[in-house]
Amino acid sequence: MTQLLTIEDFTLGFRDRPPLLDSVSLHVNDGEAVALVGESGSGKSLTTRAALGLFPGGSEFSGTVAVQGLDTLTASKQRLMELRRGHASMIFQDPRAGINPVRTVGDFLTETLLRFDGLSRAEATERAVKQLEQVGLRRAKELMDQHPHQLSGGMLQRVMIAAALLNSPDLLLCDEPTTALDVTTQAGIVKLLREEQQSRGMGMLFITHDLNLAASLCERVYVLRRGRVVEQGGTQNVFLTPQQDYTRQLVEATPVIDVAGLEAPAAAGVPLLEVAGLSKTYQLPRGDVITALDNAAFTLPEGGSLGVVGESGSGKSTLARLVVALETATEGELTLRGVPRPRRALKASERKVLAKDVQIVFQDPYLSLDPRIPVGNAVADVFRLHQRQGRKQAKVSAAELLGRVGIGPERFDARPRALSGGQRQRVALAKALAARPRLLVLDEATSALDVSVQAQVLELVEELREQLGLTILFVTHDLAVVSRLCSQILVMHQGGIVEQGPTARILEDPGDEYTRNLIASRPRPLWDAEPVTA
Amino acid sequence: MVVMDQAQAPAPPRGPGKRAANRAAAFIAKKVLALIVTLLVASLAVFFSRFLVPGDPARFLLRGRSPKPEALEEITRQFGLDKPAWEQYLNWLGGILHGDWGRSLTYRQDVSDVLLGRLPTTLQLVALAAVFITVLGLFAGILASLNKGFSDRFILITLTAAGAVPPFVAAIALVALFSVGLGWFPSFGSGDGGWDRIWHLTLPALALGITYIAMVARVTRSSMNEQLLREHVEVATSRGLTRGSVVARHVLRNALGPILTVSGVLVAGLLVSSAIIERTFGLSGIGQLLVQSIDRLDFAVVQAIVMVVVAAFVLVNTVVDLIQPLIDPRIAAGTESR
Amino acid sequence: MTLAVQLPQAGLRRYGSLLSPMAWSALAVAAAVVLLSVFAPILAPYDPDYVDLNNVLAGPGAQHLLGTDALGRDLLSRLMYGGRTSLLGPTIVVIGSTVLGLLLGLVAGWSEGWLGKVLGRVFDLLFAFPALLMAMLAIALFGKGLLAPILAMTIAYVPYVARLAQSLVVAERSRPYVQAYRVLGFRTPWVVLGRVLPNLIPTVGAQSTLNFGYVLADLAALSFIGLGVQPPTSDWGAMIEESRGALLGGYILPAFWPALVVVLVVVAVNVIGEELSDRIGGKLS
Repeated sequence: MTQLLTIEDFTLGFRDRPPLLDSVSLHVNDGEAVALVGESGSGKSLTTRAALGLFPGGSEFSGTVAVQGLDTLTASKQRLMELRRGHASMIFQDPRAGINPVRTVGDFLTETLLRFDGLSRAEATERAVKQLEQVGLRRAKELMDQHPHQLSGGMLQRVMIAAALLNSPDLLLCDEPTTALDVTTQAGIVKLLREEQQSRGMGMLFITHDLNLAASLCERVYVLRRGRVVEQGGTQNVFLTPQQDYTRQLVEATPVIDVAGLEAPAAAGVPLLEVAGLSKTYQLPRGDVITALDNAAFTLPEGGSLGVVGESGSGKSTLARLVVALETATEGELTLRGVPRPRRALKASERKVLAKDVQIVFQDPYLSLDPRIPVGNAVADVFRLHQRQGRKQAKVSAAELLGRVGIGPERFDARPRALSGGQRQRVALAKALAARPRLLVLDEATSALDVSVQAQVLELVEELREQLGLTILFVTHDLAVVSRLCSQILVMHQGGIVEQGPTARILEDPGDEYTRNLIASRPRPLWDAEPVTA
Repeated sequence: MVVMDQAQAPAPPRGPGKRAANRAAAFIAKKVLALIVTLLVASLAVFFSRFLVPGDPARFLLRGRSPKPEALEEITRQFGLDKPAWEQYLNWLGGILHGDWGRSLTYRQDVSDVLLGRLPTTLQLVALAAVFITVLGLFAGILASLNKGFSDRFILITLTAAGAVPPFVAAIALVALFSVGLGWFPSFGSGDGGWDRIWHLTLPALALGITYIAMVARVTRSSMNEQLLREHVEVATSRGLTRGSVVARHVLRNALGPILTVSGVLVAGLLVSSAIIERTFGLSGIGQLLVQSIDRLDFAVVQAIVMVVVAAFVLVNTVVDLIQPLIDPRIAAGTESR
Repeated sequence: MTLAVQLPQAGLRRYGSLLSPMAWSALAVAAAVVLLSVFAPILAPYDPDYVDLNNVLAGPGAQHLLGTDALGRDLLSRLMYGGRTSLLGPTIVVIGSTVLGLLLGLVAGWSEGWLGKVLGRVFDLLFAFPALLMAMLAIALFGKGLLAPILAMTIAYVPYVARLAQSLVVAERSRPYVQAYRVLGFRTPWVVLGRVLPNLIPTVGAQSTLNFGYVLADLAALSFIGLGVQPPTSDWGAMIEESRGALLGGYILPAFWPALVVVLVVVAVNVIGEELSDRIGGKLS
């Protein structure tokens, strides 16, 4: 077996800074699928781009990065372009950003064929259409004339894959190609990639932060941490019997569905949140009506934990925003602590009272804190408003609470910019808790975090829940995360609730077709008995 | 890793072409309607600005001239000052639509005749300036964007300096250097037709354009720089396209939107600044006419020129708005707004 | 991908690193011009209007540092006094348009209903009247001088500030941190004035700084074509106009000095404004 991609002692960095990649060595053989796993900032994208001779401007590098014997570090521009056109292709993370929005899909697919392969327009179009059909897109001819914004994310990623396969490359580089997609869409893309890789006998280097995904696609894996390869080997060996501490942590932090470990839901207590017939529709300027939430009904008892699971557009965030009164329902009842919610915008005084009942933590740690306000003051402000504390007293309370969520006193005067994503979510949590709410809504609160950080934050939420007797409404797309934290699950699809019940029951014996699909879509390791199916 | 939930727009129904054509027609109709409304409101503002001046309107219009009773009577009759305000406005507007822009007190001519006589010079001046701006501005911007490091910094500093030179200072400097100093170009008059005209208009057009050359270059540079960082450019490169193809097809093409937007502002700016330039170089265009008419208190002419400039601005902006969807199809779909 | 974790820096050092050497020199030039103008009555060597026909168009020398104009008036003194009129106008326009624009922009951005839409339309309409045109119309109505154009340009520059503020507020309003304030029960005026407004100020400040340069140039141009400051009051634009005759006769200096000062000040202001907006842009990314 020959080595298709050989990276040896590859070091890359900027002058006067610690290197971003430090003596990275890896290889991909013909017809082999290899995963490169790491958290954000580990350098996995840099490594992969180097295989195509793409380096960040102003960077310095050394070592060898060879594709079929061509060293991309020293190759001429001409040779590099030939390599990119004919031998190695790359699929990028976000197809919406990766395909020029102002040109048509057909233009995107045919531009290299027309320019460099000397095909006529008709020939190029025919070939592109065939390729689109092969990656599972219907009505390919129509698609050719459409612009990217008219296609869904999953369709666009198939277009991107079609473009990458057009010239029958020997090496396929994939940079988190499913991260921007929904789970069920991801399953389809993963299946397609695996099939193409196997049938064409391509070599594949697959970058991901998701260990499960790596296990479902690749025979071998490299674990990258801060620019160094810390562990490598067969995927099964590395994930089941990791040798390094870091790999072990990563494996442990990766959320899995563990039905056996689920606690039975506590006996239903007094209802805290009751929702009946709740709907939210939006009127679009052109007269169309969008139903974001359709006739939702459920009850959340005091001290309970309910996971709301759904993909994008399922209405789960709308539900969360309705609960915290950021939106007003079009129809239906929402009762919190026995108080019915008026179907109008709340007055300032009502909002202040409500704030003591329910709080929310948002998804994006970079936007959920006021950039100008030091984190200590941000939390103290809430104490001053709700606990009627003086400036000094509020500072003390804030310090105490921040300490509890793991933010030490040395960070009090720091602006959010100076904090990491995980630290910011901790502060956001503290801010919400400072109002001493009974119900805490988490809207994808851990989705933007690295797995290891996510695990820590989840642990913190669990801890706080027990200590403070919080009731939790956890909105997320991730079944595994929700199974860890919630005793009840509610599955949403296209604005409606398709199924709800105890977590163990839903995961083991889903009653709804969509729920079954959602569970089956989770990536399964190659060594698992069942084949990857969608 | 950020999961888009609400932000992800649902894919619009992929209907037959007829629906797209309807949508395009609706888009154009909406823009044209907005144009008409804007022009109407602007005309209201221009017309009723006169009412801000306290006192007798007839005496205001006759400032600087002997307010003889027959003159007052004449002006009252001509402007219909004895009629209610809204009727005066409707008459004025109706007149404009019929090509009757009132009478100039200074020239004792119809305003439309005075304007039409002056318009060609100004249009030629603005057109020549526009050529300089497009060629030099785009060139400098592209050059700066594609050559990082020294040339970028050098061009940027030059642009900062050039952008800070007000047109009238540029005019003086160019005259001092090229007319008085070197004697290459004339400093006065618009010359005869053809090349002589262009020769006479070169310095004025450069003086008029210098600020805008810097502006277009800056916008081009930053718009291209923004595109250069986009992932689709990296994708294009990763597919083996040549640098030239990537820049022309994916960077410059996508960067056109903001450049076009600026050009709307630019046309109005050029027309107004031409007032100063034409005066400095002794060109008899509408810019100089505006200054003279303010000087000679000939309000009917001032009003007409203001309306012309505002209309030009609104018109150019509408054209720009109509072209934008051709450059970026997302604008027509309403998913992207500028 | 964050490469370096930035720790909070104490006090002035943060501002020290905020500006490049170029911005510092721009700031120094601006400060020098402002000080020389403000203290002109104390510092100026001559009466700016003193005519000395025995000493016309003199070159720079010990008596007259920058020389004299066609009427023998001391150019340095006229420049210093001219700065008082030339800088006062832009200052008023920028302060007025910034305050008004911020206020209207906040209202337009925060109100989701018809008010925001109507205000947006008004801004659009105002954009159709370039500042210089608005100023000329005002002069045509109210007569020559500085007052009418200053008021007109204040209004003309309002939409530049207001549009920017509006778009910033709309962006901020939908950000999770603002929504968190709402859920936490903070009152809207507190959130808008106490939290959102300060977050806009750097960006709006950068825009207003740039506006200062444009206004200065426009007002000088008005004086240059004889519609603004009337002689014998000294003003940079008017000084250039007065020197045109001398210029065509080959005497460059009387026009050169005021032109140089105008360009220097506008460059300085632009450099500061751009530096500010670059810094803000870098911060946001």
